[in-house]
Amino acid sequence: MEDESHNNTLPNGFNTGSPESPFLKTSTTTTQHNKEQDRFLPIANVGRIMKKVIPPNGKISKDAKETVQECVSEFISFVTGEASDKCQREKRKTINGDDVIWAITTLGFEDYVEPLKTYLQKYKEIEGEKLSIPKQMRSEQRLQQHHNNYHDQNNQPFNGAYASSNLISQPPYVPTDQKFSLTFSPNSIQSQLRQQDQIDSVGHWYE
Amino acid sequence: MVMAEEEESGVSIQLEFPKGRVKKIMALDKDVKRVSSEALFLVSRSTELFLQFLAEKSAQVAIEKKRKTVNLEHIREAVKRHQPTRDFLLDELPPPSQPTKPDRPTQPAGRPKLDPPPRGTRRIDLFFRKPELDDPAQAQPPENPAQAQPPENPDQDQAQSPVPVDES
Repeated sequence: MEDESHNNTLPNGFNTGSPESPFLKTSTTTTQHNKEQDRFLPIANVGRIMKKVIPPNGKISKDAKETVQECVSEFISFVTGEASDKCQREKRKTINGDDVIWAITTLGFEDYVEPLKTYLQKYKEIEGEKLSIPKQMRSEQRLQQHHNNYHDQNNQPFNGAYASSNLISQPPYVPTDQKFSLTFSPNSIQSQLRQQDQIDSVGHWYE
Repeated sequence: MVMAEEEESGVSIQLEFPKGRVKKIMALDKDVKRVSSEALFLVSRSTELFLQFLAEKSAQVAIEKKRKTVNLEHIREAVKRHQPTRDFLLDELPPPSQPTKPDRPTQPAGRPKLDPPPRGTRRIDLFFRKPELDDPAQAQPPENPAQAQPPENPDQDQAQSPVPVDES
């Protein structure tokens, strides 16, 4: 009875994100199930993304979700293995972004490369901004993310940069540019942000 | 945890999957030493793209078969239709007669069917012959008539072969 009830509780527990420690204490079956779940991405995330793609009136069976859960984990292992092999051939220890893109191309998913490069570029931009912002202001930066995303949805990424630059300094924009240049170290991110500074100036003039 | 946000504009870089879990799955490969944050980000994003692709194709298969619920068979068919995906996934998919996990609290409601048609059995055999890893699974088809599993087999049989009952 207790074992059956625990087995029934486990899926719901994991789906709702309950703490794992109570289950670890109960039984060996629970431990095995826990380790098994650890090898997969959370089924709630998988289900949510699937629902975005299927027709509005469509549904997904539970075993279909679980199978897809395994499929995407297998995809991660597949890409990782290919990228890792490349690193070993070149006697490097750290898998970097280029290795992943190369692996995806080699495995036949060329369609993913352009979207990934676009996302990576944006990822670098935001990482660059994070580096230039003092740590004590990062929480404030996160609060502003909603505002930035609103601008992004309107296809105005420059306004997003403009909003984030507001967090750093006062209204005068010329001192802002100077502060930016003083903070940066020479790298590609600096050149990208400089371009953004110019665009901000243009945006300012138009506003 | 990761904040889940809609990506209708396709611009947001918020990840749908928790980074820790993705990293843990990557680390299952013992040859993997270190992973840069860029690589982790790219693997997470490509996994999302793959999942969207797989869900989209499975939904198409379900529509072709005039079903509202996407099930295991639709996923298998979607995998078969894409060569790169088939190369690494077909052997990983569970055989039609076996459930993914033995203990499942809920099962999708399906029409009960009395006898599986011989055509379905043949197709299962054809499916098992191609990959080598599926050889042990060939023992399953003879057990099908012996084991009566109304809640599971009818769905898969219906998905594989057209039945006059459905047409009427």
